[in-house]
Amino acid sequence: MNHSTLFRASAALFPPPHSTSSSRTNVTDNIAIDGRNVNFSITTRQGKVVPILRDCSLRIPSGQFWMLLGPNGCGKSTLLKILAGVLSPTNGSVYVKRPKSFVFQNPDHQVVMPTVEADVAFGLGKFNLTCGEVRSRVSKALDAVGMSDYIQRSVQTLSGGQKQRVAIAGALAEACKVLLLDELTTFLDENDQIGVIKAVRNSLDSSEEVTALWVTHRLEELEYADGAVYMENGEVVMQGDAASILDFIRVRQSAYIKQINS
Amino acid sequence: MNCTFPTVTFPAIPNLGTTACPKTLNTTSLKNPIPFLKPPNKIHPIKLKLIKISFRTRASVSDSNDGETGNWVKWIPTGAFSISADKVFRLISGATASPIYQFVSSPTTFLHSVDPRIKLVWLLALVVLPARSHIVMRFGLVIFLFFLSIWILPRHVWMDQLGRVSLLSGILFIMLGLGADGVAPLVQLRTPPPAMMGLPKLPASLGGYSYLIMKLGPLQFTRKGLSVASIAACLTFTVFQSASLCLTTTTPEQLAFALRWFMLPLTYIGVPVAEIVLTLMLSLRFITLVFDEVRNVALGIVSRRINWQHLTMMETIDIFVIYFRRIFKNIFIHADQISQAMIVRGFRGDSKTHKIYFLSESSFGMADIVSLLCLVGVTGAALLSDYYLV
Repeated sequence: MNHSTLFRASAALFPPPHSTSSSRTNVTDNIAIDGRNVNFSITTRQGKVVPILRDCSLRIPSGQFWMLLGPNGCGKSTLLKILAGVLSPTNGSVYVKRPKSFVFQNPDHQVVMPTVEADVAFGLGKFNLTCGEVRSRVSKALDAVGMSDYIQRSVQTLSGGQKQRVAIAGALAEACKVLLLDELTTFLDENDQIGVIKAVRNSLDSSEEVTALWVTHRLEELEYADGAVYMENGEVVMQGDAASILDFIRVRQSAYIKQINS
Repeated sequence: MNCTFPTVTFPAIPNLGTTACPKTLNTTSLKNPIPFLKPPNKIHPIKLKLIKISFRTRASVSDSNDGETGNWVKWIPTGAFSISADKVFRLISGATASPIYQFVSSPTTFLHSVDPRIKLVWLLALVVLPARSHIVMRFGLVIFLFFLSIWILPRHVWMDQLGRVSLLSGILFIMLGLGADGVAPLVQLRTPPPAMMGLPKLPASLGGYSYLIMKLGPLQFTRKGLSVASIAACLTFTVFQSASLCLTTTTPEQLAFALRWFMLPLTYIGVPVAEIVLTLMLSLRFITLVFDEVRNVALGIVSRRINWQHLTMMETIDIFVIYFRRIFKNIFIHADQISQAMIVRGFRGDSKTHKIYFLSESSFGMADIVSLLCLVGVTGAALLSDYYLV
């Protein structure tokens, strides 16, 4: 295990922020995502405060494909939603390069228009573009995810993997600098899983500026990543290059199995 | 039915005497009365007052029960009702996720290249013309649509569409044709027949005219029946089939674009056209999700392998209630997630500032010219048919 590439996501490396605003302060230009001491908690009906995220700090360089790993319920999706701006942190600061796009776990929640072409173009509605520009962006985005033959297809007739690719194309068409992807392979079979992950990898390879943070709990997907962040119980335990994180998790797994067997 | 007495539970009643048993509880009516109320060793009068008695009783009876208590059980339907519930859920779970006709992208046909605005005008014409033209024209339009469907659509699509629409129209034709003049005389004109008033019988038509076309026992097929039936059946056929043809050869965006084009002048009087168009597009997407949800929840129930025959009617109804409640809950979750996705994708709640791009080419081509000429021809023929065809 290459420990030199690993570091504990501790507060020492990430000094506490002076404010909780999303403005960038001491972050270098090659950092696409920077979260410092992010805390998030919810209050139950009984008035009890339940912490979901505790002092989560992470830093992801530009142009790389990173994964956010961890067991179910450890707070991966919550952290991603905070980075996307869907949720506000209780404490801590977050910086994410703009424009950013968020892709939901369930493609049926992401795809809002009835046909492929219209859905990919939906996100462009906020820009003032000509029809020609929109057409070109839609075509390029669909090409990047291998869906250019399905441009006029009804979304209903697509498989789960195809819908997921359409959702990714919608994010790519916006020419975003950061892609936040929430467990895209959850509902997919093995072929579609690889197809979707390769589509993301290819789109990153074709553009140096795009950074992607992919939430998953499948270790086999790590081989496509440049780096990874590992979370447990609402805390960022470790972050570093993909191979090291993989080794780290395997060591923990074997230790856990030994503990059970003993 | 087995005698199980599954949950006769009396929690936390220590040393409770029979004196605490409510008078309404008839313990002797149960076949195997479990001695759940043991005689007390000691009854403390003060303690008895403080005990909060909580009875939860459930009882069932066996087939061999001779007592009258069990008679009510046989009145509760179990078998037939439950089996039909099973059938209903199986039918829903096996149904298509898109019962509304959807766009067929390939093979690309002549109709695919016709401008959606012209298609909408055609749709309007096909709603109006059957009601306002001669019977020959009506049937002519039906035959025209019939062959157009066969020409344009893939075989499995037109067979399915034409089969259903023809069946519906056929039923309407027969019912209205035979029923229009077969109504009870009470609601008909009460003028007595000429013979009763001493008038001579009406002479037979020299041209072979007869009001009565056909008689089937008590039912008669008259000219009035033919007229009413042909209008209703032809209108049904043209409305359904033209809409199907339009939907299968036009994308939802093209339809929305055409509607927006026709509605644009209404913006001057304050009609929120952009909002209507966005709502239409979202509905077209959402409706498929609703059908998916209906099917998936039914599939979930079927996959539980419920033994429906053991359920009472109330329990079966309860499952249906749970089913509908689940559907609504899931649909609202979907709506919530979709609205969240729209916000994430840049929609800020104002349809005017968030543009909807219609990317389909809408250049006016030969197909459009031919289509327009046909429309003018059909409309002209329909108008003239009333004058020249008697």
